Amino acid sequence: MRKFFAIARATALEMACEPLALLLTLSAMALAVLTPVMHYHQFGEASRMARDAGLSALLVFGIAYGVFCTVKSIRREIDSGTIEMALAHSVSRAQFFLAKIAGAAIAYFVFAATVASVSLIVVNGAEIGGRIAKRTGDVAAVFGPSRVFALVAMVGGVAFAAVLNRFCRFRFTLSATVLLLGLSVVGLVPYFDAKLAARFLPVAAELTLPALVFIAASAAFAVRWRENAATTAAGGLFLAAMPLLGNYYLSDVLSKGGSLPLWHPALAVLATLPSIAAFAWLGVSLLEGRDVGGT
Amino acid sequence: MEAEKVIELAGVEKTFRDFWLRPTVKAVDGLDLSVARGEVFGLLGPNGSGKSTTIKMILGLLGPSAGSIRLFGLSPRSIEARKRIGYLPELSYLHPFLTASETLHYYAGLCGLDRTTARSRATQLLEMVGLEEVAGRAVGGFSKGMARRVALASSLIGKPELLVLDEPTSGLDPVSTNEVKTLVKTLARGGMTILMTSHLLADAEDVCGRVMIVNHGKAVAEGRIGEIGSSLNEFFLAKVGEGRDFKVAPFLQ
Repeated sequence: MRKFFAIARATALEMACEPLALLLTLSAMALAVLTPVMHYHQFGEASRMARDAGLSALLVFGIAYGVFCTVKSIRREIDSGTIEMALAHSVSRAQFFLAKIAGAAIAYFVFAATVASVSLIVVNGAEIGGRIAKRTGDVAAVFGPSRVFALVAMVGGVAFAAVLNRFCRFRFTLSATVLLLGLSVVGLVPYFDAKLAARFLPVAAELTLPALVFIAASAAFAVRWRENAATTAAGGLFLAAMPLLGNYYLSDVLSKGGSLPLWHPALAVLATLPSIAAFAWLGVSLLEGRDVGGT
Repeated sequence: MEAEKVIELAGVEKTFRDFWLRPTVKAVDGLDLSVARGEVFGLLGPNGSGKSTTIKMILGLLGPSAGSIRLFGLSPRSIEARKRIGYLPELSYLHPFLTASETLHYYAGLCGLDRTTARSRATQLLEMVGLEEVAGRAVGGFSKGMARRVALASSLIGKPELLVLDEPTSGLDPVSTNEVKTLVKTLARGGMTILMTSHLLADAEDVCGRVMIVNHGKAVAEGRIGEIGSSLNEFFLAKVGEGRDFKVAPFLQ
């Protein structure tokens, strides 16, 4: 297992050091934080907007994060030759491929935890702000301190990472990723609402499942095709699968003030596992069958 | 008693094919080779002669189109055989985002070393290659020579029985080249089997006990350094040819 963990850890670290990953994380956070500021909703709906934007960001940017970063990671191994160094050791090709998927999934969960935390802060803040605004008539209260904190966390996290890079030679993207997660989780302390979290988090967790399928699929495609082709294939799969994802149900349940019945996440996991297993098998078969380091 | 054969190739061929499986190039053509335990064996040849392809087949990275390859008596794809190998590729393939220390820990992990052993070996090796001062810096910012040193240290972290070096002195200055040659000789004296390729015949002459010259994927000569007769340079040119003169005059007119 040491070999598996070594590859998974290096992959997670690589993805956390990837500038595109930071850009996608910041974009997802910005969508979750700023969407309710846009006046496209009725008064009192800011919290719903924040929730829907957070969940959409988690789904769409999550899939983009999984696809782009996994394809980049696998292709970089093949194109730069680091895969040769790894496979010249006592690592089987199946172990290597599965560890790459596991590493990509770990990095993705850091992204998902950051976006879900920031969404929870903003949703809860908007609910509190909405109540204050209704009582006092101060409309601006809807965009109260939670959103300011979330924005400061985003800008401050990136700025502090730059300072650490300048003065301590810390890796900028890695520091920024860790700081964004840390600040998002810390921000939950004053804005944590157990009831809201119990409703929101199962839905957020369920939305991570499609991203895991796309991570496995794009990893398999990247073994066979170059970066652009593999990303396009994953994009095509996304367009084909999008209508089947059935996320209206999740949003509807939350909008009506309910929470997910236990069978729903269980069924989603059961539906996801065979897809992940199928793409993992495809990737392993393609890697077993191909020459590594040929001209 | 005959020494144990660490590497055995019999009638090995490798033909690369395009997307439509049409043959594009025959890189190795009926190569027979054997390396005994404790030998320092040099695989020499001009660019494109099939040296790196042969090494990659020995490592199980490329599958041969024909013939058989045995590594410690096992298939090169077997985990048991590859546990005993260290590999330094021609270009220093390193993860640019990892620091020098993390790189060595990564390869220690691939060798299945526990954390304590990995830490002590990483420290020793970084000191050995003179990079202890920059152990915490990402290797993406290293010079070619520094990256080469990290790659060399990575190939040794598992204390391999067989060390495969593809152009080990490529990109190194004369001082570092000397250090690498001394290191190879020291490792060989310690009983390590070494298979290396090199364009620099003087390097091979200094380090190798036996050499094989390959050209167009075929073995054209093989012998012990002391038994070749003239210098390795003359022997090489006699077997491979002098090359051709560039026709510069029309270009200059």
